[in-house]
Amino acid sequence: MHKWDFASVFANTDALLAGAAGTLRIFALCLVLGLSLGLIVGLGRTSRSRWLYWPASAFVEFFRNTPVLVQILWFYFALPMLLPFQIGPLAAAALGISLNSAAFSAEIFRGGIQSIDPGQWDGARAIGMGWGQAMRRIILPQALKRMTPALTNRAIEIFKMSTLASAVAYVELLQQGKLIASLNFNPIEAYTAIAVIFFVFLWPLVQMTYFLERRLKRDE
Amino acid sequence: MTYQWDFTPVLANSGLLAQGLVNTLKVTGTALVCGVVLGLALALLRLSPRSYLSWPAGFVIEVFRTTPPLVQLFWFYFALPLLAGIEMTPFMAAAVTFSIQSAAFFAEVFRGGIVSIERGQWDGARAIGMTQAQALRRIVLPQAVKRMIPAFMERAIELMKTTTLVATISYADLLYAANEISQKTFRPLETFTVAALIYFVVITAFSLAARQLERRLSVSGESTVR
Repeated sequence: MHKWDFASVFANTDALLAGAAGTLRIFALCLVLGLSLGLIVGLGRTSRSRWLYWPASAFVEFFRNTPVLVQILWFYFALPMLLPFQIGPLAAAALGISLNSAAFSAEIFRGGIQSIDPGQWDGARAIGMGWGQAMRRIILPQALKRMTPALTNRAIEIFKMSTLASAVAYVELLQQGKLIASLNFNPIEAYTAIAVIFFVFLWPLVQMTYFLERRLKRDE
Repeated sequence: MTYQWDFTPVLANSGLLAQGLVNTLKVTGTALVCGVVLGLALALLRLSPRSYLSWPAGFVIEVFRTTPPLVQLFWFYFALPLLAGIEMTPFMAAAVTFSIQSAAFFAEVFRGGIVSIERGQWDGARAIGMTQAQALRRIVLPQAVKRMIPAFMERAIELMKTTTLVATISYADLLYAANEISQKTFRPLETFTVAALIYFVVITAFSLAARQLERRLSVSGESTVR
């Protein structure tokens, strides 16, 4: 029977904190980049102009139908061949995760915008608003409310995906777990601790999406 | 400077890539079959009125849905064998991790499907003398499964993308084969591009088939739009 001993994990709190900082950094970066790019691509997907619709759709299809890890490794190993400079682990992982999240959130934005009654557009235009004004002041605020649960889910997915950065040796929680396990020969405790840390981070977020979903169902 | 594209080293190794794709499909298929069976069991346990059955099932579902799959894979590959005193091959670790992980997601799909069936169907089945189990098997599940198909297909496609993680524990899937070839031939751009395209083609084919099936189902009267 294995004797559990977490002392060797606690002795490496510094390494874990550095890992947590790395995880939070890449999470924040991908959340901001992924969602803002997603909004732009999502608007492209609702456009009637073929020049906006087709590139946006190709982007969404390509990034939704390839695995994130393949994208990260492509940016890390393949892209530098075409560029005069190297791409670091953070940049490669952030590019892969952000573009992937942009493709998924674009579909959320498109669905949200298209779910708003056309009468809202007509009303906004009737009182003299331009497309941009109507979108910003009338459509998006209403759509955003309906999209909140789906977008929170995306955020959770981004947080989970951040572990893939360890495949290119970026210093985040899982990477630090690997390090601790190999230095102290304690994979059981090290990986259990990492799993628990992620669960503690994410569980409140997941409960929040359940709450938001329930509230939305009640309101509609 | 312009880069000279050269795909011949990749084509020379197409056998490795094909074997990798077969291995990817093998992990996906195994995890899919085990995941659906285990997922149904978890869903039924979670729906049970007895709290000593529904609580553990709910706990397993929540844990596997809220922790990153790569962390789970590492735990099953590096920690579990020491803990249980067993040998674990990369394939076994991947099959176990992705089976339980997809079971957690399938369980929620099953639960949603079963709950969506009107009470009257249960009452009617009981009224003509069926037991709870018979009503579930003959009346409720067949109707529920039809409603769940789109969510199932989506999960199956997600699963196939998730299986690329096995490359990190050296299982020779498509991504791992690509990595090998790129190191051997010094042609990372061509190999990773080809690997990405293979994934794109296979996954797009699956999702087109899923969309087709969805359309067929919606024609036959059962709305599958969530």
